[in-house]
Amino acid sequence: MTALIIFLILTVLLLTGMPVSIALGLTVFSFLFAFTEIPMDSIALKLFTGIEKFEIMAIPFFILAGNFLTHGGVARRMIRFATSMVGHWYGGMGMAAVMACALFAAISGSSPATVMAVGSILIPAMVKQGYPPQFGVGSIATAGGLGILIPPSIVMVMYSVATSGMVVTGPDGQPVLSASIGTLFMAGVVPGLMLASMLGATTYFRAKKHNYPRMARADWRERWLAFRESVWGLMLIVIIMGGIYGGIFTPTEAAAVSAVYAFVIAVWVYKDIKLREVPKVLLSSAAMSAMLLYIITNAVMFAFILTSEQIPQTLSDWIVGLGLGKIGFLLVVNIMLLFIGMVMEPSAIVLIMAPILYPVAVKLGVDPVHFGIMMVVNMEIGLCTPPVGLNLYVGSAISKLGLTEVTKAALPWLATALVFLMLITYVPEITMFLPHLLGMN
Amino acid sequence: MLLRILDRFEEVLISVLMAVAVALIFVAVVHRFSLGAAADLVGYARSHEMTGLQSAARSVFKAINSIKLTWAQEACIYLFVWMAKFGAAYGVRIGIHVGVDILVERLKDPAKRIVTAIAMSGGILFTAILVWIGTDFVYHVRLGGQTSPDLEMPMWIIYLAVPLGSALMCFRFIQALYLYLTTGYIAHHDLSSVDGVEEEAKDVAEGGHG
Amino acid sequence: QDAITIKFSHVVAPDTPKGKGAQKFKELAEQYTEGKVKVEIYPNSQLYKDKEELEALQLGAVQMLAPSLAKFGPLGVQQFELFDLPMLFANREELRKITDGDVGKGLLAKLEDKGIKGLAYWDNGFKIMSANSPVITPDDFLGLKMRIQSSKILEAQMEALGAVPQVMAFSEVYQALQTGVVDGTENPPSNMYTQKMHEVQKHATISRHGYLGYAVIVNKAFWDGLPEDVRANLEKAMAESTVYANGIAAEENDKSLEAMKAAGTTEFHEMTDEERAEWLEVLKPVHEEMSDRIGADLIQQAYQAIGTN
Ligand code: NA
Ligand code: NA
Repeated sequence: MTALIIFLILTVLLLTGMPVSIALGLTVFSFLFAFTEIPMDSIALKLFTGIEKFEIMAIPFFILAGNFLTHGGVARRMIRFATSMVGHWYGGMGMAAVMACALFAAISGSSPATVMAVGSILIPAMVKQGYPPQFGVGSIATAGGLGILIPPSIVMVMYSVATSGMVVTGPDGQPVLSASIGTLFMAGVVPGLMLASMLGATTYFRAKKHNYPRMARADWRERWLAFRESVWGLMLIVIIMGGIYGGIFTPTEAAAVSAVYAFVIAVWVYKDIKLREVPKVLLSSAAMSAMLLYIITNAVMFAFILTSEQIPQTLSDWIVGLGLGKIGFLLVVNIMLLFIGMVMEPSAIVLIMAPILYPVAVKLGVDPVHFGIMMVVNMEIGLCTPPVGLNLYVGSAISKLGLTEVTKAALPWLATALVFLMLITYVPEITMFLPHLLGMN
Repeated sequence: MLLRILDRFEEVLISVLMAVAVALIFVAVVHRFSLGAAADLVGYARSHEMTGLQSAARSVFKAINSIKLTWAQEACIYLFVWMAKFGAAYGVRIGIHVGVDILVERLKDPAKRIVTAIAMSGGILFTAILVWIGTDFVYHVRLGGQTSPDLEMPMWIIYLAVPLGSALMCFRFIQALYLYLTTGYIAHHDLSSVDGVEEEAKDVAEGGHG
Repeated sequence: QDAITIKFSHVVAPDTPKGKGAQKFKELAEQYTEGKVKVEIYPNSQLYKDKEELEALQLGAVQMLAPSLAKFGPLGVQQFELFDLPMLFANREELRKITDGDVGKGLLAKLEDKGIKGLAYWDNGFKIMSANSPVITPDDFLGLKMRIQSSKILEAQMEALGAVPQVMAFSEVYQALQTGVVDGTENPPSNMYTQKMHEVQKHATISRHGYLGYAVIVNKAFWDGLPEDVRANLEKAMAESTVYANGIAAEENDKSLEAMKAAGTTEFHEMTDEERAEWLEVLKPVHEEMSDRIGADLIQQAYQAIGTN
């Protein structure tokens, strides 16, 4: 009953179109005011302490690092390298687009930016080569989603932050440690590469069927030159992953170091950004980070209300009592997340839903890391589903095609992503293979 | 004029906070890394009985170690708390706070105008409440005399970010509402803007590498 | 008449010594007051996190807490940092002379200005040192990155040993130890075991060089407003739960140590008297160094109570 009231208030507020963070905050206040005796002061506390965690600070740092390198010039280098490697296959430019998205995803934590950067350069070029625009926009809008699956990923940081500190127990009643940022990043690598390959395969077969043009095979010299150009950007992910795994720094420190690295590369090596443009990059990164941190603060407050009303526990008991089992539960979670993903943006969904679903998942024996990656894949698909799908919007803006047409164009790749989601959901080994191999818990 | 100073202040403040936080954590990492390297050198010299090198490395270690950076993490957190509160106000001005607009987009004009005005008033109400409870909270913390564990700074100064940032944000929401009611304008931040793509796209389309 | 409700919030699991102590207090309090008082326990930071709970208590959002003693320094009662001093107590008997004596009572009384009433001291235990290389003599610490919780005293302690202190949240420690961001840390055995740190630490020295404890506290206004007979019964319940909680804590530490030894991933070294003397020689100056913060008088009082100097 209480849960119903809370979610009703939230839904009504959200539908007015007010910012998600404000809707969360007002839900908390109106609920407190009307239905409980919890003193307002004790909620105020959460406004201050909600983001007082060093782990959360990885978010602004990763955003800054990504923004230094989110530039047409960097995308261009990635595209050149990708084209030299796979351009001679069926659907050459489409294949290159998927690969370029995967490479760009290793720098940027944002999907729409990946679509924009790769799409606005490649789609016009593809049209010129005789590809229908639908082909390019469909593959790129979907492959752009790799931005949040291949590390660094803001959504993974959000998941780790939303669940860390929650003391949950597994099926045997033993406490289970939550997923750390480092492990989640490591766990995203294999699924990221796998999804990229699957989207590539879809591109290949569609291109083969329609006999789209292929490009001349690049020689090894060109491949080497293209690689050498793009390697400075790609080193970012090496620094982050190697640094965390090698014990040189914590994830937050890795994010800060990668921001400094990205700054040096963008200004002095690639020279895409002039020194006087740096304040602009700082400002836009600060604005974006502040927006996300604001959602986090209010989501923490919202989660507090849920907890103090015992909602996650009640829900957890109820779901476990339904006897769905692990398989049924995960199916329900996927359907629910896909549905919410149609209308909301990833960060907010993860922050609101993770604290509710995570205890149940762990209770049913799902690994916290596996569950996190599963949520991220859902979010990725949500970015490409109407009516609210940022990747689709961006694709539509680049290609000048209507939203419906872009959606239709993306269907084959979207279907591939759904198959991939099922694989990730029911074959946890795909996710857990690398973390286990590296001895991360 | 005053308004332009405020705009500028907001922008400079959050950019500087961002830059300082990055620099601070970077320095702290480099510091720890060099300490580790110096200590390893001491260990190496000791196990190979190179007394000269050992004492040299020891003094290098001591010199680096005399710089204390245990407070860096805490400072970083507080810098970002301030950045978040003031950045959120700046975000209202540029329209970066996203909501779910599927219903509103389908409404016709009087209804659309009313619902949008309600949404913006929600922002005003929420931030106004924060100013109120935030001020009250800061006042209590000040009486309590708490300090932060590492920097030993008075906590009330740090927590001042909430009432101050919220006041600015409230002002920005009022501004936005006024602008909407008088001109119909809503600030909208493009989340996917990428610099330099047009030039590259043109070059590639004209047959450049890519 | 409605029962008086005490919300008792803490940040650890229900099956830890502190969690069990809280449960014991609930049972005894409800029994002795014949149902006039109802105690609701909120474990696992369900309501308030480590950093928030003291403020929540002062605001009256919860009535009872058992925070770590290290939390009172930032609150403005720096004298509590006495408990962080390395090598202050050689054993549990010496510790009791402080916690059960005038020094301990005097410290709790200082909380009253902050709207807090201190009721009892609960042990977590004595800390042991662990790292990925042997940490037997102070010289072994040179350059080791040692994780500590925020504390000027612990910082000074690690520096005195020649190590480099790193402040880090408890939740990050396991991975930091595993990857090598930090080389070692200090913990009572039970914390080390529950966080599975023995899996990622090759060596440990059973040094018992420092103490980790909690204080059970209540909101003063709430406490003073209770009827006299209720308060007396609650005090009785608290005294008994304290003995119970401390008994379990000691037991738990012994069991954890045995379990970790049995796991075989960490080599444990029992500190010898000569080694203790060596440690004392480098760590004792920390007392002097920190006397400005804690108060030279208080340190002297503590020495006298314990019977050392
Ligand atoms: Na990414
Ligand atoms: Na969507």
